Amino acid sequence: MKLLALMKKEFHRFFHDPRLIVTILLPGIVIFLLYNVIGSLVNTQEKYDYKVYVAGDAAYAQVIKAAVEADGSGSTVELVFAAEEEGKAAVQKGEASALLVFSENFTPAAGSSVQIWYGGSDESLSFYNLATAVLQGIAQANTFSVEGHSFEPEENFAKMFIAGLLPFLVVTFVFSACMSVTLESVAGEKERGTLATILATSVKRSHIALGKVIPLSCISAIGAASSFCGVVFSLPKLMGADLTVLGGYGFGSYVLLFLLILSFVPLIVSAIATVSTLSRSVKEASGYTSVVMILVMLVSIVSMVVTQMGDWVIAVPVLNAVVFMGKILGGELAVWQSLASVAANLVYTVLLVWLISRMLSSERVMFGK
Amino acid sequence: MNDLFTDEIVRAENLKKTFTLSRKQQRVEKTTSTRKVAVDGLSFSAYRGEIFGLLGPNGAGKTTTLRMLSTLIKPDEGDAYIMGHSVLKDPQKVRDCIGFLTSELKLEGFFTPDYLFDFFGAMHGVEKTVLASRKKELFGRFGIGAFSQVKVSDLSTGMKQKVSLVISIVHDPDVVIFDEPTNGLDVLTAKVVTDFLGELKNMGKSILLSTHIFSLVEKLCDRVGVIIDGKMAECGALSDLCGGKSLEERFFEIYRGIKGDIL
Repeated sequence: MKLLALMKKEFHRFFHDPRLIVTILLPGIVIFLLYNVIGSLVNTQEKYDYKVYVAGDAAYAQVIKAAVEADGSGSTVELVFAAEEEGKAAVQKGEASALLVFSENFTPAAGSSVQIWYGGSDESLSFYNLATAVLQGIAQANTFSVEGHSFEPEENFAKMFIAGLLPFLVVTFVFSACMSVTLESVAGEKERGTLATILATSVKRSHIALGKVIPLSCISAIGAASSFCGVVFSLPKLMGADLTVLGGYGFGSYVLLFLLILSFVPLIVSAIATVSTLSRSVKEASGYTSVVMILVMLVSIVSMVVTQMGDWVIAVPVLNAVVFMGKILGGELAVWQSLASVAANLVYTVLLVWLISRMLSSERVMFGK
Repeated sequence: MNDLFTDEIVRAENLKKTFTLSRKQQRVEKTTSTRKVAVDGLSFSAYRGEIFGLLGPNGAGKTTTLRMLSTLIKPDEGDAYIMGHSVLKDPQKVRDCIGFLTSELKLEGFFTPDYLFDFFGAMHGVEKTVLASRKKELFGRFGIGAFSQVKVSDLSTGMKQKVSLVISIVHDPDVVIFDEPTNGLDVLTAKVVTDFLGELKNMGKSILLSTHIFSLVEKLCDRVGVIIDGKMAECGALSDLCGGKSLEERFFEIYRGIKGDIL
C-alpha cells in the first residue's frame, strides 16, 4: 500500500503537470519535424540521370519516368527496354540505376507484380525509393504487388543503417528521457527537503527507492518511445531508408528488442537516481549525470565501431543491450544472449535500487552538509 | 519531577553527536578543529501527557537532539527510547509512534494539502476511513478546508505551517516532536499552533519541543531542559527550575554560570 502510494505520487506529479508531459514528448515531435525538414532539403538537392532497364510493360514504365522527372529535382530517366537478364547484368555492373520487371500481361490489379532490381549506389537507392513510392501510390488504389530486390542483400542499406545506428539512438533517447525526469524527481526532492519529510515517516527505504525507480522508468519509457518513433518515422525522408524493412523482422525479434529496451530503461533510471541521491542539488546531480552520459555514449559508439565482441559483453550493462539490439536488427536472432543480457541488466538494477535504499538510510548522504 | 507525570514515554541516555566541519564552517565557528560536538552526553526523560521543552541558544544542540529522537540521524554514542523502542535498533517502530515537525522538512509545492494529507496518511499506513475522519477533523480545526485544493506553492507561510502541522500528526501519534514550532509564523498562526499543542497535551499526548522563546516555554511547558553547548545544564519542572524567578532571568543565570559573559 505504501509502495503503491509512492508510485501513484510520481505518476500524479507527471501526468498532472502539462509542462512535464510536453518536456518528455516534445523531443520526439521535434526530431520528427527536424529530420523531415533536413531530409527534404537534402533530397531536393539531389539530381541524377537515371538509366533504367525495363522488362515487360512499357506504359507503366513511362508513368514512373514521368513521375520521377516531375519531382522537381531536375533528374532525368532514360528507359532501356531489354530482356530481364540483360537488365540484371547492367545493374550489377553499375551501368544502370535499376531494372523494372513487369509481370506478363501486367495490369494494375491483383495477380500482377512489379519487381525493382537495384544496386548499392546512392543513385540506385534513390531511384528504388522514388519508383517504390510511385508504384505503391498506384497499388493503393489497386492490388498488384511491388517487390524490391537488391543485388547487395547482405549490405541492404536500410537494414545496415537501422542495425548500426538505431541501438545508439535508442540509448541516447532513453538516457535523455530518463535524465529529464529522474534528476528533478530525486535530486530535486532532496534539494527541496521534501524527501526528508518522507524519510520521517515509517515507510521502508527500499519502498522509497522502488517508488521512484518503477514509475520514473515507465515515464522515461514513454519519452524514449516518443523520440524513437520520431526517428523511425522520419527515416524515409531523412535517409531514404525504407520503413518496410521494419516489417521484415519477425515477432521474436520485436519481443527481444522490447525486452532489451525494457531492461535498460530501469537500469539507467536507477543509475541516475543513484547519483541524484548522492548529490546535494539538481545542479550537482546534473554534473555527475553528464559523466555517466558520456560513459554510456562511449559504450554505445564502441559497439558501432567494434563489430565482433564475445559473449563477455553480456555482463557489461548498456553495452549488452546495444550490441544485441544491433545483432537482432541486423537479422541475427541472438536469443539466449539477449535474454541473458536482460537478466544481467535487471540484476544491476536491483543492485542499484539496494544501493539507493542504503543511501536513503545514510545520514551522511541525506543530511550531510 | 512533577508527580502528575510518571509514565516514561521518552528516555534519552547519554546521547552524543559529533559533526565534521567544512573549512567554511570552521571559519564561521572561528575554530581550527575539524570536529564539532553538537550534543555531548545528553540524558533526560519525558512523560505521558506532558509538554517537555528543550531551551537553549542557537547552536546549543536542540535540533540535533530532536533529529536523533526522530531517527533522522543516528547518535554516535548513547541511545534513546520512544515508547520503549530504541532509535538505533527499532527506527521504524519509533517513526510509527512519533509525529515530527521541523522547518527542514518541506512539502512538495506541486501538490495540494488534500493530496498530501492522503499521501502521508498512506505513508503511515492509516486506513482510508480513519484518514477521511482525521482529515475532516484536522482541516476543520485549522481552517485548511478553504485552501485544501490549492497547490502548496501558492500558500502563505502560515498556511504552509498549518498544513505541515496536520500532516505531521496525520497518524495520530502518541509522541509529538516539534522543532521551533512557532518560528517564522505570524501572531495569529502562532496562537493557533500553541493552542493546539495544549489540546494535544489534554488528549494525553507527550510533546517535546525545542525553542529559544522564553514566553513559549512559560506558557506551554510542564518541564524544561536547558541545553548549553550540547550539554544539559539544568532539567526539571518549570516551577522548580525557576525557583520564583522569571525563566529569562534564571536562564541567563545558568548561562553566565557556564559560559561567563553573554558576549
